[in-house]
Amino acid sequence: MFELASFNIGGHELFVLPFGDIVNYFTPYTAALFIFALIFTIICIISKPERQLETAFGTDAIYAKEVTGKDLRFRRFMAIACGIATMGAVTSGDIFNFTLFVSMVGICIIGIVASVKYKHVLNAAFNYGIISMLATIPLFGGAAITLAATGTLSIWELSAMAPAMPGIAKALILVGVMGEGIAPFYAAKAELFRAPGAPYVIMIHVSSLLMFLRVVEIMLAV
Amino acid sequence: MMDDYTIGLVVALIAVIITFYAAFREKNDIHRLIIADLAEVSALAIIALIATDLAEALIIPGLVVGISELMALSEIYLVRENLNRPVKEPFRIEVLDTAPAIIAAILVIYGIVLSGFTGGVVAGTGMVFYFMGKKQTERFALVETVSGYAWAFWIVAFFIFMVLPEYWFFAVMLAGGAIFAKVTAKMSLIGTMRGEKDV
Repeated sequence: MFELASFNIGGHELFVLPFGDIVNYFTPYTAALFIFALIFTIICIISKPERQLETAFGTDAIYAKEVTGKDLRFRRFMAIACGIATMGAVTSGDIFNFTLFVSMVGICIIGIVASVKYKHVLNAAFNYGIISMLATIPLFGGAAITLAATGTLSIWELSAMAPAMPGIAKALILVGVMGEGIAPFYAAKAELFRAPGAPYVIMIHVSSLLMFLRVVEIMLAV
Repeated sequence: MMDDYTIGLVVALIAVIITFYAAFREKNDIHRLIIADLAEVSALAIIALIATDLAEALIIPGLVVGISELMALSEIYLVRENLNRPVKEPFRIEVLDTAPAIIAAILVIYGIVLSGFTGGVVAGTGMVFYFMGKKQTERFALVETVSGYAWAFWIVAFFIFMVLPEYWFFAVMLAGGAIFAKVTAKMSLIGTMRGEKDV
């Protein structure tokens, strides 16, 4: 009933969950991404945050920065939310849901570092947030143009009539996902990564990496 | 000859280009934040051009995502600039001491009659006016909690539609009441949570 047009990228589907024409699915490829996100979210749930050590220059003093109390709870929550949004984006069978989940990952990334009190981290978070807000134009624009041109947003339907999705829509969605965060192109994201509190901060990079791997799969399938 | 959709798309893209140009030229952070919000609006305009029910259903989550990004960024801006307190005294004139309770009561009652999204917005406007006039600190965290539970009830109503369609009337009432409470609570929080105690 539900068939991807091409099995070269993700392999045969392992599991489908249809809601009308929107079919959430796992292929071996997306299942691997999902399991990766799941494992990392579980690590965020069970592990204690790192203690970042800082040496005061010219002395023997070493400062340990600890993440405790409310701060710890909030950041753990945001990291878990980021993981869940990532899992949603990986599982989603609908272009618009995917773009929404990508935007949610962007919000959660801001949330993870929002309670850090260092000015350079907040600065980086603010600049990252501006870019991710601007990136919602190509993201939603790409999804909207897809809907206008083909009449559907379901990845299954689009892959059945491939190559139906206009090139401009593909390009826009790719640019949007890049704007939401492909780590190496982002000076701001490298700064975010300097915030203390390791497993939560690493979620920033993991989610961006998984978003990128997933968008590649979508772009090749439709 | 171009059809309407293409013309609309071209206009929206011109707006996007202007916004991007402004965003790259602007150096003041608060202005960049506002420009980024304008950019979100043009993204919604591109979705709205499709002009179907589905487009309408896509605008609401798009709007929510945009607003939550805006709120997260404003919060970061406030923390970074140490703007925890209002920088100037709130606006006071005599009518703000007497009128709010009456007007708020009228709007809230009318909102209850309307119910749903629209009623929530009307009642929320009344609450905003009340809080603006009264300036005392309320327990806004409680209002926020009510909003959260109302949202959960709204979702429960959708599950009733899907799983037990024969109880549709109950679900409609539940959804209408819950979305009313949620929108009212959310609206009433606009501009009121300023980091006081117990907030």
